[in-house]
Amino acid sequence: MSTVPVLTVENLAVAYQTRGGDVQAIRDISFEIARAQTFGLVGESGCGKSTTAWAILNFLGPNGAVKRGRIQFQGQDLLGRTAEELRRLRGDQIAMVYQDPMQALNPSVRIGEQMKEVLTVHRGLSDVAATRRCVAMLERVYMPDPEDILRRYPHQLSGGQQQRVVIATALLNNPALLIMDEPTTALDVTVEAAVLDLIAELRRDFDTAILLITHNLGVIARTCDQVGVMYAGELVERAAVADLFADPQHPYTQGLLRALPRLGADKADSVLYPIRGRVPLPGNRPSGCLFAPRCDYAQELCRAERPALRLLPNGAWVRCHFAEEIDPAAWVPRDDFVPPRPQPAASDSPPILTANGLKKYYSLPGNSLRDILGLGEKRFVHALENATFAVLRGTTLGVVGESGSGKSTLVKTLIGLEASSGGEASFLGFDLTGDLSGRDTALIRELQMVFQNPDATMNPAYTVGYQLARPMRRLGIVPRSQIRAEVVRLLESVRLGENYLDRLPRQLSGGEKQRIGIARALASRPELVLCDEPVSALDVSVQAALLNLLLDVQREYGTTLIFIAHDLSAVRYISDQVAVMYLGEIVDIGPAEAIFAPPYHPYTEALLSAIPSPDPLARQQRIRLAGPVPSAVNPPGGCRFHTRCPRRELLPDGGRICATDIPPWRDADDGHRILCHIPLETLRALPPVGAAPTATSD
Amino acid sequence: MLVRDCMTRHPIMAPPTMLATEAQHLMHENDIRHLPVVGDGKRLLGLVDRMSFALDPGALPSLDLWEITRHLSRLSVMDVMTPADSVATIPPDHSVERAARYMTEHGLSCLPVVEEEAVVGLLTKADLLNAFQVLLGLPAEGVRVTMRMPDQPGEFAKLTAVLGRQSWGVMGMGTFPTPRREGFYDAVVKICGVGVDEVLAVLSQVTGQEVVDIREVV
Repeated sequence: MSTVPVLTVENLAVAYQTRGGDVQAIRDISFEIARAQTFGLVGESGCGKSTTAWAILNFLGPNGAVKRGRIQFQGQDLLGRTAEELRRLRGDQIAMVYQDPMQALNPSVRIGEQMKEVLTVHRGLSDVAATRRCVAMLERVYMPDPEDILRRYPHQLSGGQQQRVVIATALLNNPALLIMDEPTTALDVTVEAAVLDLIAELRRDFDTAILLITHNLGVIARTCDQVGVMYAGELVERAAVADLFADPQHPYTQGLLRALPRLGADKADSVLYPIRGRVPLPGNRPSGCLFAPRCDYAQELCRAERPALRLLPNGAWVRCHFAEEIDPAAWVPRDDFVPPRPQPAASDSPPILTANGLKKYYSLPGNSLRDILGLGEKRFVHALENATFAVLRGTTLGVVGESGSGKSTLVKTLIGLEASSGGEASFLGFDLTGDLSGRDTALIRELQMVFQNPDATMNPAYTVGYQLARPMRRLGIVPRSQIRAEVVRLLESVRLGENYLDRLPRQLSGGEKQRIGIARALASRPELVLCDEPVSALDVSVQAALLNLLLDVQREYGTTLIFIAHDLSAVRYISDQVAVMYLGEIVDIGPAEAIFAPPYHPYTEALLSAIPSPDPLARQQRIRLAGPVPSAVNPPGGCRFHTRCPRRELLPDGGRICATDIPPWRDADDGHRILCHIPLETLRALPPVGAAPTATSD
Repeated sequence: MLVRDCMTRHPIMAPPTMLATEAQHLMHENDIRHLPVVGDGKRLLGLVDRMSFALDPGALPSLDLWEITRHLSRLSVMDVMTPADSVATIPPDHSVERAARYMTEHGLSCLPVVEEEAVVGLLTKADLLNAFQVLLGLPAEGVRVTMRMPDQPGEFAKLTAVLGRQSWGVMGMGTFPTPRREGFYDAVVKICGVGVDEVLAVLSQVTGQEVVDIREVV
């Protein structure tokens, strides 16, 4: 009927009042979203993505205000209205889904009460009618047993289920516009895939316009029609999804795409190019083009004059003076960029770490009287079961799996934060089965760790220099007189300068903090560094720089790495060997290129097909795992994966054997081992997962 | 095809407190002819169309320009709308043809689609005309052929059997009793991926049926 967009944002500018004066968070944001269309906003953290969403919802907080511009929802202005007018106008027509489902749900109220509230308060429906609609909506988002879900509390649901509940609640009133702020960032890749499928399907069925905010270009490619790339509070490029990925116009977009590890890429034949520098803070933005200080094409004009968002002949909007002249194909890295030169993995080097049947059980306190008296049967969480692997000196072992698969337990057991419950592990002749208190200093020196969240693992009160010097003092690496020089050398090896010595952690950016984290792990010149999700919390461009840094460090010091990540592309990029874990067990282990090519373990195959590929044209197989990860207290018998395995029916008898017998290790070539009942020939015959172009090479 | 499949979802709606002038502006800006007025929970309160804004001279004490202006500036949507109890509505799970019949019988140009007391969409004449185009396969290119067949069971099966043998894809279809000829039915079929001559050659072989019209349409 009408072709008016559902949402129109025109020249929007938002500023926050601070003691130091107004800080302009975003400016000149313009876009529109048509009915049943998804518009993606992508950019690094601090670029103003969420501020844009909050401005639409008038949710800016007491110190935020829209300074300029227009926001029109279904042809009516949202700005300059009283709260009551706004409530009526917006009413139940705009809904929002936040990043963390646990924060959107009230932990002390049952799911049913929270969902029904939407209908009973907004629509005045009776309790019975509201319940009926909630059940129907939960069924719509594929929640098993919806009546039961309504009676539960949020903590009794898994993360993916919680997010489904939040999405279902948002859709209860059939909104015309749905704003989703990083809806899948907190979820596992397999759950993320299912939620993204759901979003696409719901958009079709409900004709809802969606504003999707994410930092993940893969998510954008999979779900959106139009994308806006934000940088430092401005929209620098706006285009159709296919055009953006095929032919990015703005140097920032090009940089983001170059910094992204692709699933098929490994460290030998591809290089990640980080974007140098960092996003300028709102109070500190340059006067010309905001991206000029980081841009490889910047010229005099860029520093002097701010470019306007203009329409290019191919239909893309871009904020760059020289968009027509820039050819991304002709791009060469700057002279000061040294590509990491990974050393070829020497397959004949001796194993530095071997684990044989390593186990870790956590005992579970019961709460019956018998348990308290110690008479009850002891129950255990089987967090790590029979881990058997060897890591060769100077190579990287990548460990992947969903959350709860035992990746972190493996690392904690190795480093000694937890004593193992059984099995053997030896490292350079040391026994690794006990916990840290019983370990020799010499062992501690050789075995170090990089943590996921640098904020939580650095003491905010100590300077960088002190924090780096501490392990040297404690472990007696260098004489006291040389500590300062050694710290400076370390800082340089992580590409930071001597001027960082006296800084405090709060004066560093996220990427810099993680560099310090790596430097601290290297301070004792260890043989083996365990990295637990070291790049997961970082932006794409910074992540690329850190992956490169790890490769460089490995080459310089010959360090062996164990690298945990849930991002399979990053693992593929950095690892020589990869172990895939499921429910505490290693199910698939071998050289990286073998893991990412057929024959796949069915679980690996599902993980690979779940990754949102940053290429809108890639035709990925859709293998979705049903149901949540089973409990590790009572892991399924036989093959632990049999309850969710999508390939089980390939076996005769519907795979009854999977439920009863523990599967054998099957040896594919060159050290690739798969824990599965399905014969290798059958697994080989499966088609390669579309996103891995190398898959057909063997 | 049901009402829910061809209605306009998420129509622009107005709160009852909106000024009539504002509503007029909104309808003009968005080029729409009907504006449902809804209260909390999208409950239908009334419907505004362009006729609603016609000035009722009886409501004015005089035809003085200021008098008219004052009257207009106070007028809210509530005052001019057709109240909900005299607005005909339709649930989303009714068939399109039934909706169309209802609209023609009662001379309506728009039906708010209401489910559980909430307005979920709007069905207008334009939506029905759109549905009509889609049914006959207009958006895609192909050959549009009209076959005339006797009104008896098995005739249509003959046609589909031929289409099936040729593995031709059908994008749109409609049948209706032939006007002014008792005992015959016309079937309009839109076929894609073939030429007019080919279709004519094959379909003219169907016994007992006649190609009444054939054209390549876009």
